[in-house]
Amino acid sequence: MSGFADFWAGRDLWRDPMIAGILAGAVLGYIGVFVVLKRMVFVSAALSEISGVGVAFAFWIGAVLGIDPHAHGRVPLLLEPTWFSLVFACAAAALFSLRPGHRKLAPETIVGLGYIVSSALVLAILNSPRIAQEAHAVGDILFGNAVTVPRRQIVALFSAALAAVIVHAIFFKELLFVSYDPETAVVQGMGVFRYELLLNLATAIVISVATRAVGALPVFAFSVIPAAAALMLTDRIRLTIALSVLFGVISAAVGYYVSWVEQLPTGATMVVIATLFLLPGLVKILRRSAV
Amino acid sequence: MRQGNTGLHSRIALVPTRPLELIRLERAVIGYRTPLLPPLDLAVRAGSTLGVLGPNGAGKTALLKSLLGLLPLFAGRRVLPLGRAPRVGYVPQRDRLDMSWPLTVLDVVLMGRAPLVGPIKRYSARDRSAAQAALQEIGIGDLGDRPLYALSGGQHQKVLIARAVAADPELLVLDEPTSAMDPAAERMLLELVQRLKAAHNLSVALVTHQLTAIPGFATDLALIDRERGLFEVGPAEQMLDPEKLGRLYGREVRVAKVGDKTAIVVDGGAPP
Repeated sequence: MSGFADFWAGRDLWRDPMIAGILAGAVLGYIGVFVVLKRMVFVSAALSEISGVGVAFAFWIGAVLGIDPHAHGRVPLLLEPTWFSLVFACAAAALFSLRPGHRKLAPETIVGLGYIVSSALVLAILNSPRIAQEAHAVGDILFGNAVTVPRRQIVALFSAALAAVIVHAIFFKELLFVSYDPETAVVQGMGVFRYELLLNLATAIVISVATRAVGALPVFAFSVIPAAAALMLTDRIRLTIALSVLFGVISAAVGYYVSWVEQLPTGATMVVIATLFLLPGLVKILRRSAV
Repeated sequence: MRQGNTGLHSRIALVPTRPLELIRLERAVIGYRTPLLPPLDLAVRAGSTLGVLGPNGAGKTALLKSLLGLLPLFAGRRVLPLGRAPRVGYVPQRDRLDMSWPLTVLDVVLMGRAPLVGPIKRYSARDRSAAQAALQEIGIGDLGDRPLYALSGGQHQKVLIARAVAADPELLVLDEPTSAMDPAAERMLLELVQRLKAAHNLSVALVTHQLTAIPGFATDLALIDRERGLFEVGPAEQMLDPEKLGRLYGREVRVAKVGDKTAIVVDGGAPP
């Protein structure tokens, strides 16, 4: 109880990161249902990494031009890392929507290449002599830090979440159709590329902004684990989405609380809490297989 | 005489006419990265059942996609005698769909209504009753609330047909609908499609590699095999010819009448 009292006393410190975590858990829980059902879980990891390249690139250009990236308010708007992160992630999402598959180059290979190349680019840019002295800070800016989250990142995350939810609310039946059966949707004149692009752009924007707010690991986890947990429990799409959002929110809130009380790394603790939601589904599957 | 002709024309113009064809390919060169076959002509006639028959990898899907305007032609043209593309109800190969999605049968059948509803709007009560009516017509009206994963293969196939019917189509297109079916199930499915065709005044296009799906079902038949550079189309009774089928399969084929049915036997030997 004293743990909770201490936690409550420090609410001014954790309020903003808690809000960011809950927002990320909710919106990624929603988007994760599509990510998991479309079997594109590594797309979210790749988008996270690719948006990181955008941030690193902004820092590198800033260093080349002699602009201090930490001089908040004095960084030209065009060099704002958020823009670079969004542009890189959206460009990658558009590329993935093209389904540029080939007999020897399947779509998942292209996603994997995106992940590998962007991971290497981030490492290369972070270790550039021009910005080496800031590398540790750049790491946080690249891949977030769920412990402290600036207010403007919460605003950005809220805006991205709202945009994604509006897109899904308006085009839910189209997004569901083209995701489940793109072949028939094409034949029936549904404009599959247009909706795939919309879905991927909404995913890219949320992942890009959420990565900077709460970190790459929780973002990847929130876009996979709550949806997987929900899918094991129900066979109704709307209930799957509701459960996934709920699991994402609880994972973020409880994870933050446990990390505060037990002095554990915040992002990793959120992921561990999210993993617990897989247990009921696993028990259900085991009981069914035992029959 | 001239006066009489004008009178006749004006009387004919008053009679509602139906175009004889829904889609036509003229001197079409089809293919993905390279042309598969020499230029070909093919039409889907109103009220007909077009069978597209060929072995695996023969180019049937490329032909179907070209017919539906989903694959650009290398040469030739696609003509739409209606002045617009016909409304298509499409039944894909069921093993291409993921049965693990958390969808009910009704969720899937409603997808057929999506193009009719248009973007932004939600499904109305009318769409729901059209979807339910399609399920009733196919004979699975009691399955609307059942999850996809709980369906048998045959039930899943019927759900996909119900979705195509719910799209209020003029042309019903089926891609290998009877693959992996036993002969009795195959015949029941084809009879169902015949019934739907009559009830909704449909035209049907059926792509298959199974010879048994064609006799007594298709009115027109296209034989295709890109390996042999073969494409022939005509009335089914003319195309169900031992020589033509033998060329298609590279085997001796015998065609025999058993009562009012046509039996086809593919032998082990090369064609004579």
